Amino acid sequence: MPVESRSLRIGVAGPVGTGKSSLIAALCRELGERLQLGVVTNDIYTDEDARMIRGQGVLAADRIVAVQTGCCPHTAIRDDIGANLQAAEGLDRIHGPLDVVFVESGGDNLTAAFSPALADVQIFVLDCAGGDDVPRKGGPGVSRADLLVINKTDLAPYVGASVERMLADAHAQRDHRPVVAGSLRGGSALAQVAGWVQEQLRLWRAGRLVSVDPGPPAPHGHGGHIHQHA
Amino acid sequence: MRVLDLILADARTPTGGYAHSAGLEQLVIGGADAGAVPGFVTARLRTVAWVEAAFAARACAQDRVPDLLELDLELAARVAAPPLRHASGRLGISLLRTALRWWPEAGLLLGYQDRSELTLRPVVLGAVVRCGGGTPLAAATISLYEDAATVCSAAVKLLPLDPALASAWMVRLADEIEALSARATAAAAGGELPSTATPSLDRDALVHAEHPRRLFAS
Repeated sequence: MPVESRSLRIGVAGPVGTGKSSLIAALCRELGERLQLGVVTNDIYTDEDARMIRGQGVLAADRIVAVQTGCCPHTAIRDDIGANLQAAEGLDRIHGPLDVVFVESGGDNLTAAFSPALADVQIFVLDCAGGDDVPRKGGPGVSRADLLVINKTDLAPYVGASVERMLADAHAQRDHRPVVAGSLRGGSALAQVAGWVQEQLRLWRAGRLVSVDPGPPAPHGHGGHIHQHA
Repeated sequence: MRVLDLILADARTPTGGYAHSAGLEQLVIGGADAGAVPGFVTARLRTVAWVEAAFAARACAQDRVPDLLELDLELAARVAAPPLRHASGRLGISLLRTALRWWPEAGLLLGYQDRSELTLRPVVLGAVVRCGGGTPLAAATISLYEDAATVCSAAVKLLPLDPALASAWMVRLADEIEALSARATAAAAGGELPSTATPSLDRDALVHAEHPRRLFAS
């Protein structure tokens, strides 16, 4: 499908409960008046995420579709993406083409990453309450997602987490790739993520979006030479 | 044995089957335990799955798009529950998309993609097997094998079950799958295609589609 005839697809992955649905709902609220948006959710047990986003009233109900993944959320975003592609293309066909379709992965482990054939760019969402050692543990999403969001920094004092440590570890893992830390409940984090989304859309429309697939093995060296397998 | 047939039967080939349970999830919601699964698989094989296999075999013998479209309509008429037609269509689109990455110039598949409104999986499967030089018997066998494998792999996720036992069910079904494949192929070579139905599957599919806590798309 030529670029102009479809939406920019932004994948949102990350462990359970880190705030993926809330982030998407907040982005829809923030950007919904300027951009034509759609959402594909991959709930594992229910269509709860889709209903939650619909319930926020930030998008028309028919702009949000749920895809069942048969207990295999990672398969649905990486190995066998047909159902998600059909859902995203269906949104474009019925309403669009839209500007941006967010594809929300079912909450998964740290190895989950979107196929480049499904998501043009991807956001990985962590939170302080999930443990401040997660950025240090790394994984493709933490290290190489196009944007890393560390959510719920307001909870850090209550769970004994160090935001500074998480940020330092994240930056160490991510080279110069961007990290946003904050709380979706207030502050500038949401505006930063919304700005990033708009910048990706601008780059994509200009044909200059270079997305990095976080899936392959981490860069590693042979005799001092660092390279990354294609 | 042809490698293409193995590729088409392989769950690692991206055609979307992992998200479907072929009705097993609703059976489990209704209280079925692991002991009920082999009987359920057999019932499917002898009714809806053998009908689908006959359609796959017939589609494999067609070289014109209008004949495939006719098969779409004929099969849709045999699937009473809309969620089941919908699921078959989603699976058909996934398989067709993948096959068109194998053979981007396949005229039969491209023409069918342009004109089919139903894109039911057995019809797609038959056309894809044909494009790969396979036989109607291969199409029927893959169709029946996959029906059984869909249920057995979903059973491992839905029920407390040793995965090796689920594969043992498949092994015990192998002779029946082969016999039904031959029958379906013979039926496809004749006149009227079969229309054996299992009404409880249609009824359960309607209930399942409205279930708020399901793991599987069907």
